[in-house]
Amino acid sequence: MTVTERQTAPVANADRADVEQFLYLEARLQDEHRYDEWEALWASEDTLYWVPMREGSNPAHELSYIYDNRSRLASRIRQLNTGVRHSQAPQSRLRRLISNIEIAGDEGGIHVQSNFMLIESRRGLMTIWAGRTTHVLEPAEDSFKIRRKTVNLVNCEDAINNLAFLV
Amino acid sequence: MMATAPEMPISIDYHHLVQDGRLHGSLYTDPTIFAQEMETIFHRGWSFVAHDSEIPKPGDFVVRKVGTQSLIAIRGKDEAVRVFYNRCPHRGSTLCQTADGNRPRITCPYHAWTFGLDGRLIGLPDEDAYPADFSKAEAGLAPVARMDSYGGFIFVNLVPNNISLREHLGQATDLIDALLGLSPTGRIQLSAGWMKHKMRSNWKMIVENQVDGYHAPMVHGSLITANRTFATVRDRKPTSPTRVRDFGMGHTDIDHASDYRAAGDRLFRWTGGIDPDRLPKYVSAMNDAYGPEDARRRMIEGPPHSMLFPNISLAEMNIMVIEPVTPETSIQYTCPVFLEGADDLNARTLRRCEGAMGPAGFLIADDAEIGELTQMGVANLEPEWIILSRGLGKEEILPNGVKLAGLMDETSQRGFWNHYREVMAASQENVR
Repeated sequence: MTVTERQTAPVANADRADVEQFLYLEARLQDEHRYDEWEALWASEDTLYWVPMREGSNPAHELSYIYDNRSRLASRIRQLNTGVRHSQAPQSRLRRLISNIEIAGDEGGIHVQSNFMLIESRRGLMTIWAGRTTHVLEPAEDSFKIRRKTVNLVNCEDAINNLAFLV
Repeated sequence: MMATAPEMPISIDYHHLVQDGRLHGSLYTDPTIFAQEMETIFHRGWSFVAHDSEIPKPGDFVVRKVGTQSLIAIRGKDEAVRVFYNRCPHRGSTLCQTADGNRPRITCPYHAWTFGLDGRLIGLPDEDAYPADFSKAEAGLAPVARMDSYGGFIFVNLVPNNISLREHLGQATDLIDALLGLSPTGRIQLSAGWMKHKMRSNWKMIVENQVDGYHAPMVHGSLITANRTFATVRDRKPTSPTRVRDFGMGHTDIDHASDYRAAGDRLFRWTGGIDPDRLPKYVSAMNDAYGPEDARRRMIEGPPHSMLFPNISLAEMNIMVIEPVTPETSIQYTCPVFLEGADDLNARTLRRCEGAMGPAGFLIADDAEIGELTQMGVANLEPEWIILSRGLGKEEILPNGVKLAGLMDETSQRGFWNHYREVMAASQENVR
């Protein structure tokens, strides 16, 4: 079915604490709408930020909520940075928890899976978001760069609210 | 025949609430008005339910809401599409829980009554335990009263009215033809799946916004600043040659082709001004299908940007469907339009749909936000009336009755509301 069935095993060249620290940093930058710092976590080219509408979908033929290559990701950040992206003006108040982290080495990068639960507060409404994320990371200096990020929302097949913040 | 909603004991004066150039705020908030709309517009009128291409094989089905009703559109072994109520004739259980799928037959989860794809009851456990006069022939799935299609777009009418689908569509068939005519085979495919977007606004606000040429510089200024080339290449100024049109029967559009024609020289402004050399197969197939001159016209003019009364928008290279949920909430469905015989363009259409549309889209997330602000705003009781008079009385009226006005004029919204008033006022005859 999906990536979640893959067997994972400890990987010699990725320290678990380093990976965790990286995921927590990314989560905090997203929660705090630090758009440019978040964008800087990404590799400079050949990247994919993907939020499918169905786990295991084929993005060549099926619609996704988000399917950003590097250039479109940059557009997304530029739009948020205008300050008049209405769906994030005012910004959502966000905090997310990351857990159930599993790390595996693979061709082309370090594959990290994790669960998240995200609480969004905006205009008096609390919304719960949750899902499982797969990162493909590549080592860079003393940290990592994101090569690929896939977010499988638990409610991806249902009608969802505005998703204009960074998930 | 079938009554799908309770009686409507309260008489509402729609001629007072919907005036030329102003609207009463309660039209967006009153639960009685909402209930009457579901019955009068969605159940007694023609509503879009599905497209032929969504269910290509026998057993393929989709579950859709029309008004308050859950319906199953399913293709039979005889290739015909039928639309049934999503309710077991036995004890009433919901039959199909998933939004789509394929089944050789429909089996109720409660007591395993089983129905053929044509709706006939073909089996039930312990059939002999029913009385002698029990008739399987009379216990099949309930079909909708009327269904018909145009260009593969399937519409239903739950409580029979006196007009045909062609009469309901009127001149809007030209819009459907224009979309289909961008395919070298004249066919489209809605096969990529539907984004489902929760909107905290009344369904009619989404209708109005679909054909609003006035808001783009303000609501979508952040996109225009961030990515000038993503948007279609068009003149957005108040002096733009773009016209809005009111076709009657509540169907309206923003005729971007009038701008593209004025610019004249360039194909594909409607898809971000892509160089035709990058779509060689599509251009060649169009030339073969329609001849170079007519193909060139089609590729300059592009797809319609229209709203067909009451619930489907041909939104350029997307189809958008509006599902009312409550007076204050709706779900907006979006699917990219794939043109048969245009794979090179379709790949681009898919990625553009994701960029622009839906909950994370560069455009529609901001439309959803403005809709929510408007819904919150109209809950305040003063100033009672909404102003909708931009361009009123200045429209050009063509011999066929179509009204034309400037890009930013509110003629398109008034076109919707004029038909709304006619239909809703006529329904009050049932009350008196």
